[in-house]
Amino acid sequence: MSRVLATYNIKGGVGKTSAAVNLAYLAARGGASTLLWDLDPQAASTYLFRVRPKVRGGVRKLVRRKSDVEKLIKGTDYERLDLLPADFSYRHMDLALDAAKHSTDRLARVLEPLRGEYDYIFLDCPPSISLVSENVFEAADALLVPIIPATLSSRTFEQLEELVRGGPQVLAFFSMVEVRKSLHREVMAKLRATHVTMLGAAIPSADEVERMGVERAVVAEIAPGSRAAMAYEALWWDVRRRLAAAQPSSAS
Amino acid sequence: MNLPGTDLLLPDSAAPADILDAFGARLSLRESAPTQRDRRFYDTFDGLLRAAGLSFVHESGRSALVWIDGGAERAATATPDAPDRVLAAELEPGALRDVLAATIEVRALLPLVRIHSAQRVFGVLDAAEKTVVRLALAESAVVASPNRRLALVPRLRLLPVRGYDGELARVRATLIEDLGLRAAERSELDEAVLATGANPGGVSAKVDVALAPDERADVAVASILKRLATVMEASLPGTIADIDPEFLHDYRVAVRRSRAVMRELKRVFPPEQLARFRIELRWLQQITGRTRDLDVYVLDFDELRSGLGEPARSDLEPLLRVLRDRRTVARRDMVWALRSDRAQELRVQWPAFLRELVTLSAEDRPAATRPIGELSGERIVKVYRRMIKMGTAIDESTPAESLHELRKQGKELRYLLELFGVPLHSGDVVKPLVRALKLLQDTLGCHQDREVQIAALRSLRDDVATLPGGPGALMAMGVLIEHLGEDEGAARAEFAERFAVFASKSQRALVRDTFSP
Repeated sequence: MSRVLATYNIKGGVGKTSAAVNLAYLAARGGASTLLWDLDPQAASTYLFRVRPKVRGGVRKLVRRKSDVEKLIKGTDYERLDLLPADFSYRHMDLALDAAKHSTDRLARVLEPLRGEYDYIFLDCPPSISLVSENVFEAADALLVPIIPATLSSRTFEQLEELVRGGPQVLAFFSMVEVRKSLHREVMAKLRATHVTMLGAAIPSADEVERMGVERAVVAEIAPGSRAAMAYEALWWDVRRRLAAAQPSSAS
Repeated sequence: MNLPGTDLLLPDSAAPADILDAFGARLSLRESAPTQRDRRFYDTFDGLLRAAGLSFVHESGRSALVWIDGGAERAATATPDAPDRVLAAELEPGALRDVLAATIEVRALLPLVRIHSAQRVFGVLDAAEKTVVRLALAESAVVASPNRRLALVPRLRLLPVRGYDGELARVRATLIEDLGLRAAERSELDEAVLATGANPGGVSAKVDVALAPDERADVAVASILKRLATVMEASLPGTIADIDPEFLHDYRVAVRRSRAVMRELKRVFPPEQLARFRIELRWLQQITGRTRDLDVYVLDFDELRSGLGEPARSDLEPLLRVLRDRRTVARRDMVWALRSDRAQELRVQWPAFLRELVTLSAEDRPAATRPIGELSGERIVKVYRRMIKMGTAIDESTPAESLHELRKQGKELRYLLELFGVPLHSGDVVKPLVRALKLLQDTLGCHQDREVQIAALRSLRDDVATLPGGPGALMAMGVLIEHLGEDEGAARAEFAERFAVFASKSQRALVRDTFSP
């Protein structure tokens, strides 16, 4: 049975797509059969993988399971890493979900036939609090939450924990970190002290991450061994360790 | 790791580099870092994995079960060193052990072939520079010994990228139609095994000798016995080395079938030689019997124990120790006997006799020149009728001995049907009879096995009692004996029903119409 991991934040531009793409790549490189579902109508991860952002039948058919989801999946440039592409119709996903029965677990149902095939399924989510995010909370085993170390980040974190209480595990990590900024250092120290569940790995704000959009490749390919590449590897180790630690309690 | 794909062979005359140049001129390629692969493949002696479409491969500290067609992985586990032998029961619990146990049961996986490959992987790119197909070019050689490598024809494997089937078909067509590659008829593994001179399907213990009904009886009998002698010879090294219990089992089945042929078709042989070889083959059966019995007890131990509740189940552990110790002693005696001069002479003289049988005078072997169809048919009818007579006489008060005798006749009939009935007659006719016989034999076998097991357990009492935990084990054995007694009773109750099917009017008519001259 696969683990479903969703990169999620209420805010946009915090490094969700970069995390989803790079972590999915690392999972596949490590031997795991991996799928990334680009749920964001902006289709950033679909673009990064050079796949056409098109889902035959659009979001309505997909969430009602009228499309054969297995036929919509595309292989990527990387072995064992597949993509369920974004589609422009995803901008109406809320409406499509609302119009369907069992509106909060439609996405989980779409994933059902794929859970035996993939070891990991990553969901790259659009920034919002909506029916889409409720569906994501229902489908995911864990939320990977990038947080920029700024004054309101503690508040963001608390809001999110409140929002998903009793739902998936929340694995938050610092993203777009600029260690030279004293504010970033202070916020990180404070948040780590008060929120022990924060992951240790932090993703720096780096050229390599920004170049992903230009070169349409993962950081490990653009700049192997770079600080950002190493940070994603550390993050992936951290995530797996937390997932493994949570397994006995989630099984009970 | 392999991905599902299709293997193509490069044209004999072309160098891999030239083909890639030619291909690169037609399509856009992106190469990833080349890799060296060192794979060791395994299968059972009789090729059970290959027959199931699977192969077991050890590579870079991992053992995996892989589908031969396509190369997708079925299950895998970390194993730092390449093993000398793999038994499903000795693996860590998990998917690999489960799939393997279901496919090869108690057979051992043995090293089959080692392949060293230099592999280059290319992505075929579309206009957006997206990989739409992958190509893996492997230049491989079988590592026959540290100093000897046997080169294989270079292979190009097409690895599909999901969602790009049209591109895959186009690339394949380009490779075949424009560049002269051809689809590989055999798997890389089969090619490698053939290069070593071995048979990819392993060594079968099946008899499978083609016969014609009007063939001379001695010619047919000699072909069947020669094949059985080959099976004995092939199973002997694995029996002596104790690789897995099936070697000894196959060896004993071949001996028993050979003895049945001699017994049932006596008049095909010169009496003096017949008497001598019957004694010798009976001796082979005797010297291997004790070890086989103990093999079965050890193999069945978990199943026997599973019928017990706790704490009796754990209390039985000392019994397993005694069974294993006794097996070690029995094996030592068996190996000594199988290596003796008597056994070695027999290995030479028995096949030599079979080779010359058809050239011997037919004067003292009146059935030698009769057609085998007629002769074997007579025997099948005779044994079948004998079984009907014996079985009909069995009721609730009949002693167990009569059921054992009936089972022996059943074995005789089964061998006649398998060795002569199936090759000489239509399968539609023979197979239902074999099925009914098999069901009857299962019931008779269960009855007898339980009785033998009860006797064996009783005989082990003293040995078990002296071990630590002995008294507890004895109590558990008591419960076990009671359960076995119940099974024996159930088998006996089942007998009447199964015998009725075997002896039904339609079966009798079928036997008469098919096998009577």
